[in-house]
Order: sequence, then structure tokens, then C-alpha cells
Amino acid sequence: MYFFITGLFLLPLIVSGLLLVLPGKISKRLVILTSFLLSALALYIFINTTAPLYFSVPGYVNEVVAGADILLLVYFGWVALRKKSGLVGILTVLQLAGLLYLLKTLPASHSMQFMVDKLSVFMFLLINVISGIIAVFSLRYIEEEACSAFRKKYFLSILFWFIGVMNLVVSSDNLEYFFLFFELTTLASFLLIGFRKDAVSVKNALTALWMNQVGGLAILAAIFFIAYNGYGEATFSNLLAHTAEKGILLPLALIAVAAISKGAQLPFSKWLLGAMVAPTPVSALLHSSTMVKIAPFIILRLSPALKDTPVAMVLIGLTGFVFIAAAVGALAQDNFKRILAHSTIALLALMIMMGAMGTPVTIVASLVLILFHGISKCMLFLNAGVLERVFHLKETSDMDRLGESGPFTSLVITLGFMSLLLPPFGAFIGKWLSIETLGALATEKKILGALVMVAIAGGGAVLSLLYFKVMGGLVSRSGEQDRVRFEKTGPIYSATIYILLGLVLAGMIGLPLLLTHYFAPVAAETGRQAVPVVTEGWNLYIASMRLPILPLLVAFFLLPVTVITALFIRFRKVDRAREYMCGEKLNYSFSSFYFSTDRATPYFYAAGVLFLASLILVALI
Amino acid sequence: MNDVLIPVILILLAPLLGGLLYGFERIVKARMQRRIGPPLLQPFYDFLKLAGKRRMMVHSAHAFLGIMHFVSLWFALAVLLLGGDLILVIFLHLLSTSLLILAGYSTRSIFSHLGANRAAISVLAYEPVLIILAVSIFMLNGTFDTAAVFTSSEPLLYKMPLAFIALLLVLPIKLKKSPFDVAEAHQEITGGVELEFSGLFYEAVYTAKWLDYVFCYTLVFLFAGSNILLGAGLLVFTFLYLNALDNSTARVSYKQMLRFSLGVAFSLAFINLLINSLT
Amino acid sequence: MNLASYRKKSPWILHYNAGGCNGCDIEILACLAPKYDIERFGMINTGNPKQSDILLVTGPVTKRSRERLVEIYAQMPEPKVVISCGACASTGGVFRGMYNCEGGVDQFIPVDVYVCGCGTRPEQIIDGVVQALAILEKKTKELEESVKLKREAVKEGHQLNRRHIADEIKPVLS
Repeated sequence: MYFFITGLFLLPLIVSGLLLVLPGKISKRLVILTSFLLSALALYIFINTTAPLYFSVPGYVNEVVAGADILLLVYFGWVALRKKSGLVGILTVLQLAGLLYLLKTLPASHSMQFMVDKLSVFMFLLINVISGIIAVFSLRYIEEEACSAFRKKYFLSILFWFIGVMNLVVSSDNLEYFFLFFELTTLASFLLIGFRKDAVSVKNALTALWMNQVGGLAILAAIFFIAYNGYGEATFSNLLAHTAEKGILLPLALIAVAAISKGAQLPFSKWLLGAMVAPTPVSALLHSSTMVKIAPFIILRLSPALKDTPVAMVLIGLTGFVFIAAAVGALAQDNFKRILAHSTIALLALMIMMGAMGTPVTIVASLVLILFHGISKCMLFLNAGVLERVFHLKETSDMDRLGESGPFTSLVITLGFMSLLLPPFGAFIGKWLSIETLGALATEKKILGALVMVAIAGGGAVLSLLYFKVMGGLVSRSGEQDRVRFEKTGPIYSATIYILLGLVLAGMIGLPLLLTHYFAPVAAETGRQAVPVVTEGWNLYIASMRLPILPLLVAFFLLPVTVITALFIRFRKVDRAREYMCGEKLNYSFSSFYFSTDRATPYFYAAGVLFLASLILVALI
Repeated sequence: MNDVLIPVILILLAPLLGGLLYGFERIVKARMQRRIGPPLLQPFYDFLKLAGKRRMMVHSAHAFLGIMHFVSLWFALAVLLLGGDLILVIFLHLLSTSLLILAGYSTRSIFSHLGANRAAISVLAYEPVLIILAVSIFMLNGTFDTAAVFTSSEPLLYKMPLAFIALLLVLPIKLKKSPFDVAEAHQEITGGVELEFSGLFYEAVYTAKWLDYVFCYTLVFLFAGSNILLGAGLLVFTFLYLNALDNSTARVSYKQMLRFSLGVAFSLAFINLLINSLT
Repeated sequence: MNLASYRKKSPWILHYNAGGCNGCDIEILACLAPKYDIERFGMINTGNPKQSDILLVTGPVTKRSRERLVEIYAQMPEPKVVISCGACASTGGVFRGMYNCEGGVDQFIPVDVYVCGCGTRPEQIIDGVVQALAILEKKTKELEESVKLKREAVKEGHQLNRRHIADEIKPVLS
């Protein structure tokens, strides 16, 4: 087992190095092969993991990690000097000072550096399968990028490096190691966002850098306070061993700050929105399987400790606010990728909230959302890439002919949006579980619960309006176009999207099975409490919550099957009529309504900062 | 036996009931305007006539989505009447609405698009209120199942009158009644989403409207619990209220509608939720 | 009980003004008002060709409106009946022979019932509609007959239901 897990760590890193030197044709095969291999490895590990695995690494690795930390920070300092960014500079100096201080004062020996439990394995599966698909997709995407041949290799190389680092992040137990990997993902995202090297890319890359550095600094502070409060070693398992003690509140709050910065919650949401300038596979990677998913991962990892603390309460309030603010902010957007980014932020807020609540059902909800949001978002972003490369479309208001020129892309995007919104898709189940558990929260936590409930109800409705708005432009066809012929977008594009579509549909059909055999064990180990999932007749019980299977089964025929059939069905012996336009025979182009929410944005950020301050304050008091 | 038999009969007869309700409503509305009005069975005459027309459509996907809107709405109603989970029911209703909206978007017709846009806005206007309502019901009953509501001896009305008022305020949006009928707006966008349907395909959308009546009045009936007398009273009151409102008000713009529903109805529902959680 | 006999109780009307003076239109609206209340007979003014059975045209056909008239007529599902309402719609009326006027409605689409008068009276309109109903019923029967006999869609000589007939009429060139 150690062998396989180490393989999962090292394989992407080795491939990443190889991709830089190998010629194009071989590297193409290597990418596809590695993607398969990684998925297979993750699946194997998932099937064979029963109990948490703790393992330590030889002592010299500690030195290597410390050295890598310092090297990384020196590189950040160099970036700050070259790009003349004061913020990055200050944060780097602070981090460096904190790191050196910690290295000096803290004991150098560690008992355990890595822990692979079911949550880590769950994340392995998500990271490796989805990122593998994205890597295959980007083979074709990056070919059409206007840049030198070396930079194309370099792009793929960083992609795999990112995967390797992500695998390390989700399995590290020691916070010092976690800090290094956390910062390495920051570095990877910095390089990828700045890949195009134009002025906007560089600026947004720097924004991403400093915002994530705040998270890194928070982790360092957390390590310091753990030692300062006398809990000894700074590890996740150590934190979890001291649940319900006042002293760990501050470290918890600081780690939560790190999560918020990674998860692009307010007030840090700017970096994820800025990241849209990068090539589309990068956005797909950041949004679906890596980077932002660290946020719910951290919260889930700490959820037994966080549960019912004041920190968790503030976190729930913050994420509730972010959910509605991000949804409202999305209404003003026209760029397809920016709309997706806003909806990611909103759904991440929901995942973090569910993790922070820490009851069995909410943890299941959070896991369900992480997985299905990952798949759906990946599908949507890859389609954004197709739109960009094949149809040369970026703004949603330009897409009103897509239903005729690209019916397949339009169908997949429609299904993707519906999968985030409506029964019987997996992401909807996550949302459903959330709403029902929030009802319980409203009963217990009184005003907080009621306020969060309002945010979720309002934000959810705004999101549905948003999805309708985007879908509306995509699906229209004139009466002449009754017979639909799917467009050809190239084998790599269509293969990856078919796989993802298959995953979405399979996840939906197999959901009852997945809940009992996949999510429940993971949730039980994550939340340190039993998650009873029982199937009784046509009902599935998760703790006290009842999921009726029959309506969901019927809904499967009512939604995905209907939408797909609608494209192919042809009624014969039916007269045709032109669309009614008061007798005119003109062709109109369509656009949807537009809400300007720019005036509210500064207030959103201000509220985000307030929430952040109260997060720390609550922990201090 | 009875708790299954009655819902099943109701579900099977739902289009019939809805049609009768619609026919009766047309008479009442006419009488309010001092007209005589059509016969009671008028909706069914329309039904028969539409079935006899030669079929016509814009394209197949559009017509098919219209039919599926009817089917899915019937299914949502069935889940509601059989005592299903209220949140699930709300989202199944959203599913059926979204199929209709998708149908509206699927043609290149301006009025259809306008109607679909406005229908999406209407969803934003009434959905949060319904969800808050469902959560309030959960806080009183400890379950989201409507079966528990139908059998509880204490009517919800006495415990959450504010929520009932909020429901009354959003019902005109859901049923597309004046002053909140922007989504349909016959004089303005000639029916909006339903414009491009004709003949047999329009029949599906037309009948779906009857089902929507049954759906909405069932939501009203929820507030009476197992007290059938009170339930009947509530139904009659809501019926008269809706028709009086429809006859006496002019259409407002979608922005005004949104402001009103999110400002007044949503706040009322929220205050109700707060009261529920504090007591 | 013959269900088919109830079909004629629900005529839905589409009202189109091809360029008249609004005199007849006001009378049509008077039919809807409490005094005449044609909703008694199940009639609705739909404003939507795709769901209506009776096309009620008022006014003479002007050059600008004739294409729209034919397009709207083509968008109505069969069986359908056309009533030309008022003197102008029937013959061109006082506008006949003017530079902008093309004459009566029957020059472009087949008219089944002519209602006379300049402003038609509501009673006349209702009478016209009642006559149209009989024609509608006859057409419905014919349609059913032909479907039964041929088991395929009816192909009429003038092909007025096909979408391309609207294209056949040349657009007005200035």
C-alpha cells in the first residue's frame, strides 16, 4: 500500500520532469498513459484502504522540506522584486521570518508526517481522475495556443506537478509539511495563471500569489500558536485529539483563514475571478479537482474539532453570506468563465459550511457536493475551452447561435448547469441535504440558523436564475433546424467531454449505491462518528434524513433523458410554422436581461473582511 | 388504506379538478365584471377543440419539452399529494418549470424568449419564499414530509399566520395572475412561453396550467392540517382573494414584482421563521 | 353523447387590423365588454395565431400589411375560418383605389364570411362569428374525412398551410 501511495506522489512529479525533456509525440502518449495509470492507482488505493495509514519519512526529508520551504520563499521574494509588488514582498518577508523562527524553536523530530485516511483517498480519486481528464484535454488545447514549443511542454509539466503536489497536500498530517505543499500549490497556480505573460495575466497572477500567501502565513501562525499553547507537535491528528479545548480555537481559526483564502471566499474571491485569464484547462483544474477543493478538504479534516465551536459559527455565517453574495455578483457577468467562477465560489461556500457544521448528514452533503461539483464544473469548463477554441466564443451574449452551430456543446452545457440545480443530479442531492440540515440548524441555533437559511434560499434562487440566463442564450434553434447533427470538435475534445458526461449520468444513477458504499464510510471516518445509511424499501435513510429513491428515479426520466430526447425526437406528419413575430419575417438576435451589481461589490468585500476579523476575534475571546 | 386511496384518486382526477376550478374561476371573474361568463365546462370544450386541430409546431424539441412539462408537473403534484418531502416537491416543481422555460428558449421567437426570461425571474421571486415556508413547517413538525402535515391535528395557520400571508402574496406570481402576470402578459407578449405551442401541443401546456391550480391550492390546504372544514374555508378565501386581486389590479413590471416579493413576502416569511425558531 | 359536438363551443379569435380606421376594432372590443359578452359562447380574443380558429380582419389591406396578413394566416393551424369585418376589409371601402391600398382581404387569403357595415355593429359581428362557426365545423369534418381516407396530411391545392407560401409573395420594393 505504501508503495502505491508513494507512486501516487512521485509518478506525477517524475512525469512532470520527463515532459520537459521528451519530444512532443512521446510526451503525448505519456500524458494519456499517466492519466490512466493515476486514475487506476487512485481507484486501487480507494478500494483497498480500510483503516487510516500513518507513516513517517526518513529524517533527512525534514531537512529537504525545510530547504525547499526557504528556496520557495526566496523565489517568491525574487518575484516580488522583479515585478515590484510590495504586498508579495512584505508577505514573503513575514513568512520567511516566521518560518526561520519556527525552524529554530520547534523540535526537529516528527513522529508522523503523512496520514492517508478515507478522506485523503476520496480526494485522491477526485484529484487524479478529474485532473487526468483535464490533462488529456489540454494536450489538444495547448497545441493551438500561440506560444513556443517549449512553453507548451512546460504547461503540461506544471499541470502534472500540480497533481502530484495536490496528492501530497491531502495526505500530509504534519502542518509544516502541509505548509510547504500548500505554498507549492500557490506557486503552481501562480505560474499557470501567469502563463500567457500579458499584463493582465501577470497582474492577476500576483493577486493570486499574495492572497494565497496570506493563507500560508495563517498556517505558520497556527503552527506557532499550537506550540505556544502547549499542545506540542503541530499536526492535524494532534489538533483532532484535543477537540473541545479552548486553546486550539485560535489555531483552528487561523487554519480556517488559510482555507478561506484557498477557497476564494470573500474577501479573497478576487484571485479566482482573476484566474480566468489563464488557458481554460487551468481554470478547469483550479475549479474542479485541485486548489479550491483544498478549502473544503481542510474544513472536513478539522470538522470534529470545529464542530459547535464559535469559530464554526462564524464560518457558517461567513459562508452563508458568500453564497448569496457570489450568486448576486454572478448576475452582472457576461463572460462565460466568470459566471462559472462565481458559481464555484458560491458552491464552495456551501461545501465549507456543511463541513463546518460537522453532523453526519452535513459531512455526507459536503462530500457529495465536492465530488459532483467537481465533475460538473470540469465538464462546463472543458466546454468553455471548446467554445473558445472551436466556436471562438467567450461572452454568453454572443452565444445565441450556438444551438444551431454546436448542438452537442449546447446540450452538454445545459445538462451541466441543470446538474448543479435540479433533481435527480448528484449536486442537487448535496444541496437538498444542505437545506434540510439547515432546517435543523435553524431549530437549534435560532437566529444564526434562520439567517443562513435565508441566505441559502435566496442565493439558491439567484443561482437558478443565473443558470437559466446562461442556458437561455445557448439552446435556441430556428424552425428550419429540426434535424440535429452533432458538430465535430476533434477526438480529444469529444472523448474527454463524453467521459465526463458519462460520469455525471453514472453518478446520478448509482447515487443510492454510492451513498451507502462510498460516501458513508468516508463521512464516518472524517466526522469521527457513525453515519448510518440504511436502505429500506424505496427509501434511503441517512441518519434521520429520508431520501425517497422512487421520485428521483422518475426525475431521471423527466430531466436528463427528456432533455437529450428533445434533441433527437422528430414528430412526423406535423405542419411547420414560422415563429410568431407579429407577422414579421426578420431574424433577431437574443440577449438576456442584465443586472448591474457593481455598486454592491465593495460592500461585499467589506463584509467579508468584517467576517474574517470576527473569525479571529471569536477565537481570541 | 384511506391515506393512500384519497391521494391517488385526487392525483388521477387532478386535471379534471383543475379544469373545473379554472372553469369556475372564469365564471366568477366574469360575474365580478358584471358579465355572464362562459359555461362551467368551458375549459373542457377548449380541450376537445384543441385536440381536433391539425398539428403544427415550430420544431420537435420545443413541442416535446412542452409535453414533458405537463408530465413532470403532474409528477410533482403526485409527490406532493402522496405526502412526499416538501423541499423535493418544490424542486420537482422547479424541474417542470425549467422544462417549460427551456422550451421557451429553444425557439428563435422573441416573445417566447421574453416570456422565458420573465418566467425565470418569477422563479426567483417565489422560490425563496416557498423554501423558507418549507423550513418553517419543518421547525414546527420536525419533518419535511407533507404527510405529517396533512395528518397533524393542529392547523399550521394558527402557528404561522405570517407565512400564510407570504404564501398569499407569492401565489399570484406562481399562478400568473395580475398584478404579477409579467411572465404571461397576454396583451403585451401574447402569452410568453406558451405562445409558440399550438393544437395538441398547446393542450399539454394548457392542461398543465390546471394542474398548477391544484398544486397551489394544495399548498394552501397544507395550512389547515387535518381540519377539513378550515381547509375548505382557506381554499374559498384564497380563491376569492386571487380572483378579486386579478380583476382589480394592473400589471406591474418585473422589477416591481421582484422588489415586492423579495422585499415584502420574503421578509414576512423570514420574520415567521425567526418567530418559529425563537419560540 | 357526441364529444365532437362540443368542439364548436370554443372558437378562439385572432383579431388583425390590416390598416383600417379602428372603428371596427372598437366594436370588436365592445363584443367582449359586459353588454355583449361573447365569452358566454367560449370565445376568447387570443392575439396569437397559433392558438386561434377564427381570423377577424378589419380594415383595407395596405401594402405594408399584406405580407404580415398572409404570414399570420399561414401560422394558424387548420381548420381555420376568416371573417372580413366591415366594408373596408371586404372590398377596400372608402380606401379602394388609393395609392397605399391593395383592396379587400379576399385578394390575398380566402375569406369565408363577409360582415358588412362601416363600423360594423357588435350584433353583426356576433352573427358573423356564429356563421363562421358552422363553416368551421364543416371544415373540421372535411379535415377528419380526408385524414381517414388518405391516412396522410391533407394537401390542398393552394397549399395555404405551408410555410413557404408566405415566401411566394414578393416583398414590397421601395
